Amino acid sequence: MSISTSERRRDADVVTQTPVSAGRRRGWQGYLVMPAILALILLALYLWVSSMELDSIEARSLNAQSLLTALGEHIVLAAVSTVVTLVIAVPLGVLLTRPFTQRVRPFIIGVLTLGQAVPTIAILVLLAVAFLFLGFQAAIVGLVLYAIIPVLLNTMVGLEQVDENVLEAGRGMGMSKGRVLTRLELPLAVPVMLAGVRTALVINVGTATLVTYINAGGLGDIIVAGLSTNRVVVQIVGAVLTAVLALFIDYLAGIAEDFLRPKGL
Amino acid sequence: MEFLEFLVDRADDMLELGLEHAAVVGAAVLISTVIGVALGIATYRSERARETVLAITGSFLTIPSFALFILLLGPLGLGWRPVLLALVMYGLMPVVRNTITGLREVDPAVIESAKGMGLNRRQQLLRIELPLAWPVIITGVRVTTLVLLGIAAIGAIVNGPGYGELIFTGLARVGTPVAVNLVLAGAVGVMVLAVLFDLVFYAVQRITTPRGIR
Repeated sequence: MSISTSERRRDADVVTQTPVSAGRRRGWQGYLVMPAILALILLALYLWVSSMELDSIEARSLNAQSLLTALGEHIVLAAVSTVVTLVIAVPLGVLLTRPFTQRVRPFIIGVLTLGQAVPTIAILVLLAVAFLFLGFQAAIVGLVLYAIIPVLLNTMVGLEQVDENVLEAGRGMGMSKGRVLTRLELPLAVPVMLAGVRTALVINVGTATLVTYINAGGLGDIIVAGLSTNRVVVQIVGAVLTAVLALFIDYLAGIAEDFLRPKGL
Repeated sequence: MEFLEFLVDRADDMLELGLEHAAVVGAAVLISTVIGVALGIATYRSERARETVLAITGSFLTIPSFALFILLLGPLGLGWRPVLLALVMYGLMPVVRNTITGLREVDPAVIESAKGMGLNRRQQLLRIELPLAWPVIITGVRVTTLVLLGIAAIGAIVNGPGYGELIFTGLARVGTPVAVNLVLAGAVGVMVLAVLFDLVFYAVQRITTPRGIR
């Protein structure tokens, strides 16, 4: 095994936050397992909450109106931040894998890997306390700053995994650098980049729970309302809804991943 | 430079919180490595088992940490317990995945020659397959540790140990001069731990990787 292939394999191993995708296409039954489990969880939650006598504080947090508002805010936060993350991270990843960065690339990957340890909550809170930057825009900045690292790593690793021989063949056919990139490298890297989209979505849905601390809404509002009023029901409803939403979005992204993958890969 | 003074002032606090933070993350990494490697060994030979265990541990990783801490609060109470369990759950998938990848990448010819030498299944696994897969497994553990260090900070929501406490205290004092210092101190503390853990893993990786495949 040459040095370059073993290095490449190690790079691929550093992307830990990437969700698992099924290796082969699932049968239609395979697609029903997750929604069925999530529906059962929601049903159980509904039955449990409606079997209880809610006091006025609980009733204020747990009505359809406020739950839907929080859910809507959460989805918008995750969607906007994911789009911004991709718009920044994918071109940057392409740029950082061009030949002129070859020398500094291991260093960049090392720094990005260490950067994954920066606590999200620290980024969000720092925006609030240091710059008094609060609300929706601050939340997007915080979410993007955190999600950018795994997506960037994914894009870089995905592009590096493309077989050098294929690119050589392209050049041999007389393709220009730009055409090699757009006709060979990017399409071949699509599966890894789709995994990056999914990673960004999952991370942003998770982190969006925390933006309640900088007054940007989302399902975290429900959990924090439960915590500050010491109402366990409210906390649990908030937490379960957050978990179900994250699992459902990951499930949808997984389906998209299965169908958007170029045929032949 | 006011921040440096702040750090010196609170050196005792920083050290104590750092030890707590390192302890809970270290324990979680150790537990998820043991369970994860065991799960990987148990499932890597069957496609169905492999996919099931990856789907389940993968869905743990999908659950937002804030939600998971709150859900574990009921059964486990406040303090380090919910944080430890949540971190173990988050650590499993990368370890299981890298164990499976590592074991499946072992050259079949090598396994064949091990069989030819008369090694039984157990000896094959312990003397040939695991040592060869080890670099991939330990890389997974090393990166997981970094991610867990960051997640552990959120554990302060359920009164968990570590630097998260500084970050949330800073948040509570937003608008006062000390708030920025508190939050920065928390973030810097986690980053210092990240570098230290990474150095330790680098050493462990060097020492525990068989000389022939270094």
